[in-house]
Amino acid sequence: MLFFKECKKILRSLSFWIFFVITALMFFTQYFNDGKFRASEYTGGYKIVENHEQIMNEAINTLMGEYTSNNYVCYPYGFYKAVSLKEKKKEKVEIYIQEMMGVDHNGIEDILESHLQEWLNTDHEGIEVYLESTSSDSIMDFFSQCPENRFDDLTVKSDLTYERFTEIMGEIDDILGGGSDFAVDALVFNYSRVDMTDEDSLKQYEAFIKYDRITYALARLFSDYMGIDLAFLPVFVSAVFVAADRRRRMSELVYSRSISSFKLVFTRYAALVVTMFIPIIVFMMIAFIQAKVVYSGEKMSMSAMFTLPTFWLLPNIMVATASGMLLTEVFSAGIAIAFQCVWAFRCLMSGSVALAGDIGKFDLICRHNSTFDRDIFMQCFNDFVFNRIFFMVISLLAVCIAAYVYDLKRGGKFNGFKLFGEGGLLRRKA
Amino acid sequence: MENSIVIKNMNKYYGKKQALFNIDLTIEKGMFGLLGRNGAGKTTLMKTLAALHKKKNGEITVCGIPIEKEKEIRTITGYLPQEFSMYPNMKTDEALDYLGALSGIPKEERKKRVEALLNKVNLTQHRHKKIKELSGGMKRRLGIAQALLHEPKVLIVDEPTAGLDPEERIRFRNLLCEVAEQRIVILSTHIVADIEASCEQLAIMDSGKILWKGSVSQLLEKAKGHIYTVNVEKQFMAQIKKEYIVTGILPQNEYNTVRIVSDAEPDLPNAVLSDPDLEGAYMYCLHSNGCEVKGGDE
Repeated sequence: MLFFKECKKILRSLSFWIFFVITALMFFTQYFNDGKFRASEYTGGYKIVENHEQIMNEAINTLMGEYTSNNYVCYPYGFYKAVSLKEKKKEKVEIYIQEMMGVDHNGIEDILESHLQEWLNTDHEGIEVYLESTSSDSIMDFFSQCPENRFDDLTVKSDLTYERFTEIMGEIDDILGGGSDFAVDALVFNYSRVDMTDEDSLKQYEAFIKYDRITYALARLFSDYMGIDLAFLPVFVSAVFVAADRRRRMSELVYSRSISSFKLVFTRYAALVVTMFIPIIVFMMIAFIQAKVVYSGEKMSMSAMFTLPTFWLLPNIMVATASGMLLTEVFSAGIAIAFQCVWAFRCLMSGSVALAGDIGKFDLICRHNSTFDRDIFMQCFNDFVFNRIFFMVISLLAVCIAAYVYDLKRGGKFNGFKLFGEGGLLRRKA
Repeated sequence: MENSIVIKNMNKYYGKKQALFNIDLTIEKGMFGLLGRNGAGKTTLMKTLAALHKKKNGEITVCGIPIEKEKEIRTITGYLPQEFSMYPNMKTDEALDYLGALSGIPKEERKKRVEALLNKVNLTQHRHKKIKELSGGMKRRLGIAQALLHEPKVLIVDEPTAGLDPEERIRFRNLLCEVAEQRIVILSTHIVADIEASCEQLAIMDSGKILWKGSVSQLLEKAKGHIYTVNVEKQFMAQIKKEYIVTGILPQNEYNTVRIVSDAEPDLPNAVLSDPDLEGAYMYCLHSNGCEVKGGDE
């Protein structure tokens, strides 16, 4: 059967074994490590309780601190960036602060002055010498850069609605170029945490045992870790596999056979997906055995460790494989790998700061980096199901297009696009 | 019609550049040679016949099937490309089995055919060797075996003997002649000796055009009266090469015996009209069609 012959070819390829080693490393260093401990051994932590008043007040304190130092901490696309605003934008931010606090420019000045005085009234080693030698403006500059420059007692005006507050936060985040602590979708996570009580911890653990029957929760954590890898690693295997015919000067021998392009491309696709899923099944088994050992004597779901990760991870493998096949046919293996890596990386970095329940309808990588938080996961369960089915459908469509492109190439009607070099699309004209 | 390839007024372009010009050709069962220099358009024509390239216009039917029906064409055509290789870590019989699966041959049937073909191309004792361990000649023979796996009516082989040693070349040509007893075999080459040894019918191509088509004997007949042998003192060789198309030089003691192509009787003492060989006839064909021929010119 052709399917098994293709599987055999994949199993012989170096790229597959590199894939296997990296996924194994990810599994053992991340999930397997976490899974060694019983969930009941985790204590403390925090929980998110969406309290609008708390969010607004905590946010205005953080904003005021960053505004006075003109040093905003941002993570656009996941990378740290310290943003300093120019005068015009700084003024805009101040106007928003005034609106939120219900004060004018002088009011802001007064707040800063009293905050400075309060700071000066406490002991700071060597500060007297410094103060004697400098002007008041410099004191403010010096103070604004100090780590102690934190506000914690500011409040927003009483009639500020949460809707208007989020609008303003969105505007400020835009001014800062995105990824700031004031991004609307991060507000709840950033400013609405409360410490967990013992009772809360117990409740969580009960949900873990009773509703998640242990393995559902562990399966979510397993899928979270493995999903990151599987959003891009399969592209290496599929792109190299598709390009192998040309690299081995085998294309024309294959092109001239009577098999239909759709049958060949889909057989290869199925072989790639199945072969790359085999190590994941092995890891699921190891994870399941580990769970049985760690939670020996506890009642657990026997199937969850296999069903949930299959539904969660298979679309990732399908998408990365399909994108590798399609883009290698249209452009080249290099472009396919670069595209998939950038896509996965952007998805990973532009996700919500909360790693639990970070599941959008169209995010390639679904995140739930927690053994607990079942409620949060269930809140976005419908989105999760939609997301996974959507990506499965998308990947099958991509394979259909890849088969069509393959058929065109096979009949000499299309030779693929070249981006660089002679005749390349991106070649600069002399 | 059912046992021939008919090409009528076919043109082929690569982008804006025309690669084949008004090709008219009928190829019957047996060995057919396609002779021409490198870059004459032979490979383009071969690929078009194997449904791997798309023609711009004109008609091609292969054993009665229009070339546009690619799947059907691939079912009845076996193709051995000029440059090919296989997955280097596959074993010889495994590679054949894989390509047989791509041709949709059932498993049991495939097993029998692989066995028979390995025997036919004399690779049975190398069946468990990896492809990367085979010599150039063995790879070529394996190439023929893969092209014959699905028992095609037409076998297209593109420059199959290039780079082979003389013994392998002879063995390969004999194999092709054997295969051609039951089907159309198109042999494309720039090596005249391959055509001479194996083909009855041939076409000569240059710059994407068919310059001549017919039997080998007709080509030889055409060149009759234009091939001369002359003894030339060695000191005059440079001048001879400049003025005539030299197809052979046999060094003697004080002079060279030279074969030249000439439209009219050359103005040389001792020039004797000779029976043309295929090489000379081929050179004359190129020359008489206005192609620049550099036979012997240094």
